[in-house]
Amino acid sequence: MIRLEGVRLQTGGFRLEGIDLEVPSAGYGLIIGPTGSGKTTLLEAIAGHVPLTSGRILLDDEDVTKAAPERRRIGFVYQGYHLFPHFSVRENLTYGLDRTGVARDEAVRRVDELATVLDIGALLDRGITGLSGGEQQRIALARALVPRPRILLLDEPFAAVDHSMRRILRNMLADLRERERVTTLHVTHDVGDALRLGSMVAVLAGGRVAQSGPPEHVFRNPISPFVADFLGSGTVLRGRIDRLDTAVDEHAESGNNPPRFRAVFVTPDLQLDVVADHVGEAHVLIRPEDVLVSKTELPGYPRNRFWAGITRLEREGPVVTVHLRTGETDFRAFLTASTIHEQGLRRNDQVAVAMKATAVHVF
Amino acid sequence: MVGAILGGLLVVLVVGPLARLLWEAPPGTIAEAALDPEVRDAVALTILTASAATVIAVLLGIPLGYLLARARFPGSRFLSGLLDLPVVIPHPVAGIALMLFLGRHSAIGGVLAKLGLEIVNHVPGIVAAMLFVSAPLVVSGAREAFASVDPKLERVARTLGDSPWGAFRRISLPLATRGILAGALLAWGRSVSEFGAIVILTYHPRVASVLIYDRFTLSGLPAAVPAAALLLLVALGVFLLIRVLGPSERVHR
Repeated sequence: MIRLEGVRLQTGGFRLEGIDLEVPSAGYGLIIGPTGSGKTTLLEAIAGHVPLTSGRILLDDEDVTKAAPERRRIGFVYQGYHLFPHFSVRENLTYGLDRTGVARDEAVRRVDELATVLDIGALLDRGITGLSGGEQQRIALARALVPRPRILLLDEPFAAVDHSMRRILRNMLADLRERERVTTLHVTHDVGDALRLGSMVAVLAGGRVAQSGPPEHVFRNPISPFVADFLGSGTVLRGRIDRLDTAVDEHAESGNNPPRFRAVFVTPDLQLDVVADHVGEAHVLIRPEDVLVSKTELPGYPRNRFWAGITRLEREGPVVTVHLRTGETDFRAFLTASTIHEQGLRRNDQVAVAMKATAVHVF
Repeated sequence: MVGAILGGLLVVLVVGPLARLLWEAPPGTIAEAALDPEVRDAVALTILTASAATVIAVLLGIPLGYLLARARFPGSRFLSGLLDLPVVIPHPVAGIALMLFLGRHSAIGGVLAKLGLEIVNHVPGIVAAMLFVSAPLVVSGAREAFASVDPKLERVARTLGDSPWGAFRRISLPLATRGILAGALLAWGRSVSEFGAIVILTYHPRVASVLIYDRFTLSGLPAAVPAAALLLLVALGVFLLIRVLGPSERVHR
C-alpha cells in the first residue's frame, strides 16, 4: 500500500502542493499529467531522494517520510532506465541482492526466474552497450524487482520504446503484476497506459491532484476542462444550464451527490437536453463514443437531435474520428470504418447527429 | 582546409621546440646526464615530490570535486572559481604567498615546525608548491567527471539498498575514474614542470627544473640542454606509461 498524506515539496523548478493519494496493496496506480507537472519529482519523493516540506508517506502502514532510500524497499525504474554502464547485465540484476546478503544460489535462482519472465535470459552475460531500448527497459524492470521490493515505481517506462514494443511491455507488466503482486505506481503522460493498466489514476496538474479515481470513471467524468482536455475525453463546451423541472432524476448515482434534475444547456449554437445538478455557468463534455451520426434523420429516442456538417474524417486503425461542425461549434464522433463505408459518409456531408441527455456530461 | 593549417601551426609551435631540444642533445649526452648524480637526484626528487603532491591532490580533490558537482550550496560557483585561481596567478607570487602562509613565522608554519615538519627550504615545501599549482587540475577534473555521471544512477543504487557511501564507491567513483585520472595526470605533469613557486619556497634540495635553470644561468645553454632533454624524456615516458596502463574506454553512454 502506498499512501501520501498532504505531500508538499519544492525542488528545482518543481513544487507539489498537498498531494493526497492511495494505492491499495498489490494495486496499480497511475499518475498522469503533462510534462513538467512534477510527476518524476513525486516518485523521487516517495523513494526518499527528495525531502518533503510537509506531509507523510506511508508504505504498508509504515511511515517512511524520514527513512533513507535504502531502507524503503522500493524498486525504481527511471524513464532513461539508468542501467549501470560499468556492469554486465547480470551484475546489474544482482545489485540489489548483493546489498541484502541473500544466499548465492537463491540469488541465481531469483535472477534466472525474472530473466525468463522478462525474456532477457540470453543477455545476462553481456555488457549493457548496444542493447535496444526494449531490452534496457526489461533489464531495468528486472533489476528493480529482483530484491522483491514492496513498492514498484515506474517513471514513464514506455516513453522511449516504439509502438509494438510498448504493447509487448504493457502485457509483460500486466503479467508481472499478477505474478509479483507488488504495489505499483506508474507515472505517464499517456492516457492509453492509464486506461489499460491502472486500477487507480490521479491527474496531476500545477503541483496538485486535479482528479483521481478509477481510470474509466475519470476519463468519462472529468471534473474540469483541463482534465477533459488532457485526457482527450471529448469536446468541452462552455454555456449555461437552465432548469426544466424539479423532478429528481432517476439517474442520480448515489445519495451523497446533490439531487440531479432535467435541464437544458444553452450555447449560441446549441441547445442540449442534459441531466444536471446545478444551474448557471457550466461546461459540458460531449464524448465522441456517445455521438450517433446518420445520413438520414434519426428517429425517436435520443432527446438531442440536430444537423451538423462533416469537416474532416480521420482514420486510425478500425476507428474513424468524424470531425463535425454545427454553427461555430466543433465536436467529434467515433465511428467504425465499416459504418463510414456503409453510409457513404464524406467530407462536407450534412448529417443527423443524436445523443442521449444522460450521455452529455455536465460539470 | 583553413582549420587544418591553423591547427597544424599550433602543433608545430608545441612540438617544434621539444623536437629541437631533443635534436640538440645527442643520446650520448643524455645518458651522461642520467649518470650525473646531481641530475639523477634532481630528477628522482622531482618525480617523488610530484607524485606525492598528486596523491594528496587526488585524495583531497575527489571529495571536493564530488561536492562541487553534486551539492548545491550558496557560493559553490564562487568556490569553484576560487579554486581555479592558482592557475592564473604568476607562480613566484604563489611562492611568496605560500612562504607567508607556511613559513616558520606564520601560525600554521610555526605549529608544523614544532611538530618537526619544516616546510620552507625543505622537501615538504616542494610538495606544497606543487600541490598549490596542480590541485585545481585534479579538482576540476574530478568535478567534471562526477558531473558527467547521472545522479540518477546513484539514486537507483540507493533504492536497491545501497548506502550513500556504497553508491558512491560502486557507481559514481568507478564511472568518474577516467576523468579523475586525466586530471591527476595533468596535475602530475604540472608539478613536474613547476619552477616559479618552488624556487622561492625551497631552492635546495633542487628539483630538476631548478637544477636546469641553475646550470643555464651559471654555465650557459650547452650545460642545461642534456638535463633538460632527460627531464623531457622522463615526463614523456611517464605520460605514455599511464596512458597505456590506465583504464581503457570501457564505459559507453
